[in-house]
Amino acid sequence: MSYQYNWSILWSDVGLGLLRGTLVTLELVGWILTLALIIGVPVGVLRWVGGRILSPLCWAYVEFIRNTPALVQILFWYFSAAYILPRPVVLVLRDWNFEFAASVIALSLYHGAFIAEVVRAGLQAIPKGQYDAARSLGLRFRQMLRWVIFPQVFRITVPSLTNETVSVIKNTSLALAVGVTELTYQAKYIDAYYFRGVEALAAATAIYLVLCLAMAGVGALYSRSLSRHVKA
Amino acid sequence: MGWAQVLTVDNVIRLLVGDLRRGEPGGLLLTLGMSVVGIIGGTVVGVVVGVMRASTSRWLLVPSFLYVQLLRNIPLLVVIFWLYFIPPHFGIETSKFFSVSMALIVFTGAYIAEIVRSGIRSVAPGTVEAAQSLGLKPLQVRLWIVLPQAFFAMIPALTGRYITTVKNTALAYLIGFSEVTEIGREINARLMTAPIEVYTTVLIMYFGVNRCLSALMRTLEDRDRFRRVFIRL
Repeated sequence: MSYQYNWSILWSDVGLGLLRGTLVTLELVGWILTLALIIGVPVGVLRWVGGRILSPLCWAYVEFIRNTPALVQILFWYFSAAYILPRPVVLVLRDWNFEFAASVIALSLYHGAFIAEVVRAGLQAIPKGQYDAARSLGLRFRQMLRWVIFPQVFRITVPSLTNETVSVIKNTSLALAVGVTELTYQAKYIDAYYFRGVEALAAATAIYLVLCLAMAGVGALYSRSLSRHVKA
Repeated sequence: MGWAQVLTVDNVIRLLVGDLRRGEPGGLLLTLGMSVVGIIGGTVVGVVVGVMRASTSRWLLVPSFLYVQLLRNIPLLVVIFWLYFIPPHFGIETSKFFSVSMALIVFTGAYIAEIVRSGIRSVAPGTVEAAQSLGLKPLQVRLWIVLPQAFFAMIPALTGRYITTVKNTALAYLIGFSEVTEIGREINARLMTAPIEVYTTVLIMYFGVNRCLSALMRTLEDRDRFRRVFIRL
């Protein structure tokens, strides 16, 4: 039995479905990346500063998240969010798009932990002299971070953050488990509904490749332009 | 409370070994089985492709480069779908275990190839020159001189990749494979009132497996301990 290819189907409703899926994927990426940075940067800084209470808490969060599957975390939030979050929030999320919200919460917390480790590694990689110099200039702790440390940390963490972004793009496919209509979901749906799995999956694969490679390329260019004044 | 409903003897046995009594292994046992297949297969593929990536021949370099770039830039779920839903279109029967294992192996292999490549680059060139001047052939140099030295440099990165592989086995539940996530989903669907407890249990199981795995890898990291354990064998 041989398969009858029909690539022109991608220029009909099928293609439109894939395009809608791509938009949902990108929307997920935008939300997750923003929230993961908002979570990850403070956690990374707290882990690096060290403290008696907050630092172990951040360590536990990072360790637990990094050693468990993102997929199970999505399922956890999808089924448990109604028990954990306050009732008004749940009602708002339910009216908005609960599957989407649960995936965003789970994946933001997941990637937040990885970004926290990137930030911590970046802070540790800055030579100690930089801290001493900033302090001896009379800068307060927050000024030191803002004007001396973070600009350097940002420069050296751009490659890792790019990797993390690519990983976010790939992990949004897991949102299919709770029924978010992102790209992989659309490809699967087309396979079931039109029986055009090969074309749909090939197109989805190509779209993921383009998104990830474009992201990696932009990250590499940006990293190079940030480092152009720095002697290696 | 929900914990009493979730952690019944029956549920715990199902989470650990599935329906082993009826001859259908599942649960954590199947998760571990798939992890071992993915880790060992992925390492073999990764070493072969990684050595190809570090070679100078264009015929080895180009295919290995394309393989790594392709697999590293698409989600594992898409690979699983390629290997599970597409072969039937061409009249080829697929089995869940085979599809998921193959997907895990080729996916993990692409990442390990990059780890192996940078491990090879970290080996001091002097040792390679010394081996060459002793008259070893290029492949012999790679296999017996470079890779063993690169191994210790690769261990931290490999640990991370192995942990990811264990986590990635959870994706098998999406094609209805009864590993620990799927059993958790079944228990949750039956109880309907204790999702926090059910999924926390599943998460803790993965956490335990991964902590054991990283502890195991840390014992390998110490060269002296590694020699004591393995060279004596």
